[in-house]
Amino acid sequence: MNKKDLERLKFLEKEIRKIAEEEGLSTTEINFEVVPTQRVIEGMAYNFPINFSHWSHGRDYDRIRTIYEHTQQGIPYEQVWNFDTPRAFLVETNPFALQAVVIAHVYGHVDFFLNSRFTQHGRKFSDIAEEARNAASRFRKYEERYGSEEVEAVMDAGYSIQWHQHPDVFYEEPDEEMLRSRLIERARAKLLAGQRPRNLAERPLTPDQIAGLERWIKTLSTKTPPEPTFDLLGYTTKHSPLPLKPWMQDVLSVIRDQARALFPNTRTKMLNEGWATYWHVRIMRRLFEAGLLTPEEHGVFNTMHARVTASSKKRFNWYRIGLALYEDVKERWDKGRFGREYERCRDQYQKSHWDTSAGLGKQKIFEVRSLYSDGRAVAELFNDDFIRSQNLYIYGQVKNSNKIFDIITNNDAESVRQVLKRILGIHTPKITIQDGNLNGSNALLLRHHYTGQELDLAYCEKTLENIQHLWGRTVYLETVENKVPIVMQHDGQRFRKFQP
Amino acid sequence: MPITIPEPIEERGKKDARRHREKQKEALKERIPEIIAEEDIITGKRDRIVKIRIRSLDIPHFRHDQSEEPTVGVGQGGGEPGDIIGERPNPDGPYSAGSEPGVGYIETEVDIQEVIGWMLEDLGLPNLQTKNIKEFLVSLGMEISGRSTVGPRPLLDNRATAKEGIRRFWHFLRYLEKETSLAELVCYDALKKAQGILTDALEALKDPNFQATSTEIEPFAIIYHDDQRYHRIEEAKTPESRAVVIAMMDVSGSMDTTKKYLARSMLFWLVEFLRHVYQRLEIRFILHTAEARIVDEHEFFHTGESGGTRSYAAYRLAGKLLDDEYPASEWNTYLFHFSDGEDEDPKETLQELRKLFERKINMFGYGEVNTEPLNDRRLLRIFSAELPVAAIPDQKNFIAVGQNNCPFLGMRIAEKGHILPVIREFLKKERWQPYE
Repeated sequence: MNKKDLERLKFLEKEIRKIAEEEGLSTTEINFEVVPTQRVIEGMAYNFPINFSHWSHGRDYDRIRTIYEHTQQGIPYEQVWNFDTPRAFLVETNPFALQAVVIAHVYGHVDFFLNSRFTQHGRKFSDIAEEARNAASRFRKYEERYGSEEVEAVMDAGYSIQWHQHPDVFYEEPDEEMLRSRLIERARAKLLAGQRPRNLAERPLTPDQIAGLERWIKTLSTKTPPEPTFDLLGYTTKHSPLPLKPWMQDVLSVIRDQARALFPNTRTKMLNEGWATYWHVRIMRRLFEAGLLTPEEHGVFNTMHARVTASSKKRFNWYRIGLALYEDVKERWDKGRFGREYERCRDQYQKSHWDTSAGLGKQKIFEVRSLYSDGRAVAELFNDDFIRSQNLYIYGQVKNSNKIFDIITNNDAESVRQVLKRILGIHTPKITIQDGNLNGSNALLLRHHYTGQELDLAYCEKTLENIQHLWGRTVYLETVENKVPIVMQHDGQRFRKFQP
Repeated sequence: MPITIPEPIEERGKKDARRHREKQKEALKERIPEIIAEEDIITGKRDRIVKIRIRSLDIPHFRHDQSEEPTVGVGQGGGEPGDIIGERPNPDGPYSAGSEPGVGYIETEVDIQEVIGWMLEDLGLPNLQTKNIKEFLVSLGMEISGRSTVGPRPLLDNRATAKEGIRRFWHFLRYLEKETSLAELVCYDALKKAQGILTDALEALKDPNFQATSTEIEPFAIIYHDDQRYHRIEEAKTPESRAVVIAMMDVSGSMDTTKKYLARSMLFWLVEFLRHVYQRLEIRFILHTAEARIVDEHEFFHTGESGGTRSYAAYRLAGKLLDDEYPASEWNTYLFHFSDGEDEDPKETLQELRKLFERKINMFGYGEVNTEPLNDRRLLRIFSAELPVAAIPDQKNFIAVGQNNCPFLGMRIAEKGHILPVIREFLKKERWQPYE
């Protein structure tokens, strides 16, 4: 990028920020960096501008680079991180008009970061990028000192269970001892109330119940974890009987922190991309109207925008559908097409001409970006009309010996909603640590909370092996296979499964 | 300044990408037993590159079993249930649907030599040295080596001969000067007129009336018989390691396609290893039922016949082939016989086998391709009982190895998984050394 273009881009960035603020978007200082494609590919593969080495990053790097080199596609136009001062990459080879769109798009994202309760939560980890950068050099020293295979094995194990956390994104894992005393207190209060009722609402306990509660209090004083925890990686790191060496704990806690910081973003992918797209359209229109972009540049923008929001027969295009959703919601709330009266109206003619001039559209879409997750958006905002107007369907695979066919299986609105909820929802199976000292032998007991979907057995075996690598003692997993409860076990040497 | 062009930083991606590929290769090595039985390799054209599908590696994690999930995703663009919106080749090859965690297939090309390298590494024989194998002098044809003063006309070395002739010219000229004390130019004139004959020139110079007409000396070659130079040629010989494989197969009715496939896999790898070791490898094919005949490779693997089984006919033919074309003094010899073990005349077969041993062969491998348990009436049992062999302990399958310089390796092959252990046995050092 030459100096003249750079100066002009800097000017446009200021204009874009001004427009964004006029439109009611929250803004903050953003660091834009003009970088070569290879840097963008690294950013994608490593999740952060700079991160530590691991073969899985290399694998992604290789894949993205190969696709890019062969098709000149597959890398995003923009890359932005939800840091304290958000940071974004501009690809140096992009045409000028594209750089302007990307800046507008990034302003959309940044407003989302600052306001969505999910991404706000991610911002708590504002120093995560700094931590990743430091980890890169620290871990390299670990590799020199302890051997790269050792380090890799610990990373592999950490990555195996990184996404396991409480299903509520906002849940804070309490300190174990605090939790223990809280649980004991609660049990004691119950015991006390049961022994000497102070009012009629407090029922006296039977001697059996009292003995049970007393036993429970005693158990609680040593039980670990005091109550089942979803935080597989955190618990293993802190309580492994090996015990883990400080450098291992360091590696594992960096991995855990990064997963925690990245996870909330996955709850709002569609809404976030849709929001940024919704706003880049409007900002670009205003720049063009103000004469700040030439007609040619506006043409480049239109082409790029059409490509980004193209419909795909086999892919759920976040950009297109997210954008359509905000536009649809805005129209519905502007015309008052919501609420009981509208829903109950059976007259299709009246419905299609429904307009109460409510004018609540803008307010509603800002509310959606602040409070909704993708899952909630599907449940509340993807009504039958919207799904039909978007021509959405679900498809499945049929195989014969030579070919695989993708075939539309259903386009009924309710089925589409169900599948979308699954696709946009949390994919990590619900697994908790039940006991970190099973039978007093330091064995680890995990439980899969079966809700109709069984686990992939081959993956289970390898994952248990990885957990065992961190735990050092036998690891058990209670799950269900072919609808029968089973227990899987890995002792470091071999894997086996049996019926309890 | 919100928009900046930062300094380039160290490139990390490539290094980690290398590590991923390394890991992929490790994963590939673990699957050698499957890979070597892969049909594409065995039946493919004889180029040295094979395509192997491998998966890109995934970090194992708890995930739901998706194999039963009927719905793949959500698409857009309209259409009715039942519409086909895409198709692609089915990547589930014969062995790719393994249980290793992984997503996405990557097709990678692997050189057969590389696969062999892994196998050797796996077998603990990283450097299969060829120095222990027997080398023979073979003729490369005739080659020019130096000169000679006699020879046939066509081999006359014109250049060297002319050089000699010029030398003679100067010698004669100096001689004439010395004898007659006349000027060089005069002597030259006389020599020229005498057409290089020294005595004539001398006579002419003795004549006082001799008039020299030449104005300058132009040397010319004077070639006497002694000056002729010829190229010398002799037979070129070079030490070469060479071997012949004689593959024999029973094609009686009971050898079905599967059995032949197993035989072929086995043979393919044994031959590949020998190819690795020897500079030159010839393979001859013999089919037999009750009769034996020499065939080409295609016929060897594609013929099914019916009739009785007399292995000795094949052994006899192999022995004749060795005597006629591949004497043990000039060739390393490996014989392999694949059969299901039913033989009409085991006694005679055994006797012919002993005769083959007398020919100083390097190895006789007998593969009994049979899914049924070992049976006393089958050849493998009979060979094992009659020959000085010992069974390899701790093997899931029966492998018998000759003792005391008996170059015999007998194995039962019932499934693809049996191929690698047998190759491992075969590759033990002493197995491919000649038995002296």
